[in-house]
Amino acid sequence: MTTAPENRGGFRPTAPQNNPANVSATGGNGQSGQAVPGYTGFAYGQNGALEAQAGAAKMEQAPSPTAASAPAPASMASILGGLMPLDAESQDDRPISDGVDVGRGRGSEALPPALNSDTRITENIDLMKKYLPDLLDAARLPGAPDSYKRLVNYVKARLI
Amino acid sequence: MKWVENNFFDHLDKFGNSLGYDNFGIAVCLSMVPWQSPQDRDVFIMTLTGEDVKGGEPSTFNPGSAVM
Repeated sequence: MTTAPENRGGFRPTAPQNNPANVSATGGNGQSGQAVPGYTGFAYGQNGALEAQAGAAKMEQAPSPTAASAPAPASMASILGGLMPLDAESQDDRPISDGVDVGRGRGSEALPPALNSDTRITENIDLMKKYLPDLLDAARLPGAPDSYKRLVNYVKARLI
Repeated sequence: MKWVENNFFDHLDKFGNSLGYDNFGIAVCLSMVPWQSPQDRDVFIMTLTGEDVKGGEPSTFNPGSAVM
């Protein structure tokens, strides 16, 4: 019985391990790049030399992935423990609810006037002064609606 | 030139009349927004006020009237 040449032992150039395009799907976990100890598939007389060469240049083992440990969930008690009750005493012997219309202490009447005043009026006057000439010009355009003219008249009356 | 829709003055007309004259400053700021269309602006106003848009209706157009 005669064995076909492709089935005989020894180095076979068409073997899968000799195909450079044969890339391991598992990446670094595959066999590529690292000589398998005891592998004797090379050509006759080269096994010992190649094994010695591979052993002399050990490849660094691929680092094993490690999952980052998730931070421990903070308990609700630890979160709420840092909050100060609304009626707690502050440093000036007044509750921190002082100035608010809820809880102990004075109400919003205790706040300085600047925090109570509506600043929209001042802002409106400034904007009216700035835009009035252009607003008047636009109000004279043919087709300007009466609602717009009433608005411009209001702005003009506020500034006079 | 004539009055056209979807510009600053048209927006100011709608916002000023819909939000009220006292909110003139807010109306000016909102009128500077580059609204994609008058419909987008009107939807915003209706969402904000919960009412129909005021100002600029065709029935109120009076091209011949004077401002002062």
